[in-house]
Amino acid sequence: MIEARGLVKRYGSTAAANDLSFTIRPGLVTGFLGPNGAGKTTTMRLILGLDYPSAGTVTVNGKPYAQLPDPMHEVGALLDAGAVHGGRAACNHLLCLAQTNGISRRRVDEVLGLVGLADVAGKRSRGFSLGMRQRLGIAAALLGDPQILMFDEPVNGLDPEGILWIRNLMRSLAAEGRTVLVSSHLMSEMEYTADHLLVIGRGRLIADCGMSEFIARGSGQAVLVRTPQADALGRAVTTAGASVSAGPGPGELEIRGLTQEQVSDLAFARGIRLYHLAATRVSLEHAFMELTADSVEYRAA
Amino acid sequence: MTSLTIATRPAARTIHSELTKVRSVRSTYWTLFLLVLASIAWCVSYCLGTVHQWPTMSAQDRAGFDATQDTILGLVLLGQLVIVVLGALMITAEYSTGMVRTSLTVMPRRGTLYAAKAAVFAAVSLVLSFVTSFGTFFLGRILLASTHAGASLSQPGVLRSVVISALYVEVCGLFAFGIGALVRNTAGALTLAFGFLLLLSELIRTLPVFLHNDLTRWVPGGDAINSMTATVGGQIPHTFSAWGELAVFAGYAAILLLLGAVQFARRDA
Repeated sequence: MIEARGLVKRYGSTAAANDLSFTIRPGLVTGFLGPNGAGKTTTMRLILGLDYPSAGTVTVNGKPYAQLPDPMHEVGALLDAGAVHGGRAACNHLLCLAQTNGISRRRVDEVLGLVGLADVAGKRSRGFSLGMRQRLGIAAALLGDPQILMFDEPVNGLDPEGILWIRNLMRSLAAEGRTVLVSSHLMSEMEYTADHLLVIGRGRLIADCGMSEFIARGSGQAVLVRTPQADALGRAVTTAGASVSAGPGPGELEIRGLTQEQVSDLAFARGIRLYHLAATRVSLEHAFMELTADSVEYRAA
Repeated sequence: MTSLTIATRPAARTIHSELTKVRSVRSTYWTLFLLVLASIAWCVSYCLGTVHQWPTMSAQDRAGFDATQDTILGLVLLGQLVIVVLGALMITAEYSTGMVRTSLTVMPRRGTLYAAKAAVFAAVSLVLSFVTSFGTFFLGRILLASTHAGASLSQPGVLRSVVISALYVEVCGLFAFGIGALVRNTAGALTLAFGFLLLLSELIRTLPVFLHNDLTRWVPGGDAINSMTATVGGQIPHTFSAWGELAVFAGYAAILLLLGAVQFARRDA
């Protein structure tokens, strides 16, 4: 459980985190979503006590992070896969981290196997590919077998195989009842992994809700039709209480407030010919764009 | 007792971890090797040169020959430059690689982490500088055997000179460690440390003589090092005693270590 109350972090005149209050509940993958520079990394650094907040508090399992007796047993974090000494062998890197929390050398070998780096355990991490470094960072996070895991942009720059591996890992960690906080600026990535969403833009919390609720908060379902009798269909659906807007192509209409079946029935009853009829699912990406656009307008006004 | 055990356990673990860090990178071995090599090279070339000239030296020159100072001066003059690199890197390498964020995530009590780092560096460099100072001293005695001019530890000031040389190198390392924590950047830390150790004594030469004579005891360089290492010829003018000079530099190092600790604890990582 991670709790933030009124968290503020200012760098000069800009606020990277602006009055953030949220609770990250156990047993869920919480997606931490926002465009680049929204304050995701800053917030994670505040949680881990790497940066000090300008105002507000954040606690992990009820305590400020720095007061956790053996933090690796409670929180595992991967903020920056590059944050290792390249001249140190992978196993020694993990060993020096493990020793601070009284974790055994055997566990080091275990996590190296778990992330698939056992073969290069004795190699210096300087020669590692981005994907291997990411695995090394995840191995470090898993060392203490923590209940809470935090990953900052874990799929950034990874190849499809690496992305799939991370996705599956996060799902399986959550399935074991762990709390996973994962940040991304890729909205589509969240659709595969997150149960719950924290959306921030310009340091402010825009949404804190379930994934499905978030999508519903956007414009919701729409039905896209193409018809030679656009005027007649427009009148018909407006009478039925729906809203209509011009679709992306000629002769296309976007109808909201009616289901695909209802639109089809209306058209059939009026003898209106339809060439195309499809429900368009509003993507997370779209919903996100709309929400952040709102917040920008709100700020400008 | 129990509470003490619990309180010291994280510290002991962190020291263990820092020792692993030091042992697991090649740069440590390279720097330490360079320090020993430079000290030995100085000792050998000085002693062989002296042995070569000995037959033609005047009685006065022979009396003024300081076998102790000349054999271990390599450790002081060259070793200080090497140990400064190692001391600064202890801290700045954590920042340049970003490792410090990982280190603080697993050990968020910053005071403990800083102290463990300083303690491990102090211990490693202390062992090495003592082994080198005594090693070069005895090596010099062997090389100078034919002249019968080699010093013995029982002669006045000799043991003091050998011990202070090692401690001075240690102090220089801790000094650089403190600067490293303050500026968090290898190039910056080395520039400042070298500037202080090498340039300051040159800069005060431009001052009027009376000012220079007042200041020289407070500034690292020829006069202060001479006072710490000389075993013949009595007290060097315008300086404190050997231990006094060491105390001055230990004081500088202590202040910088303390300021570094405050910065390490207070600033965002």
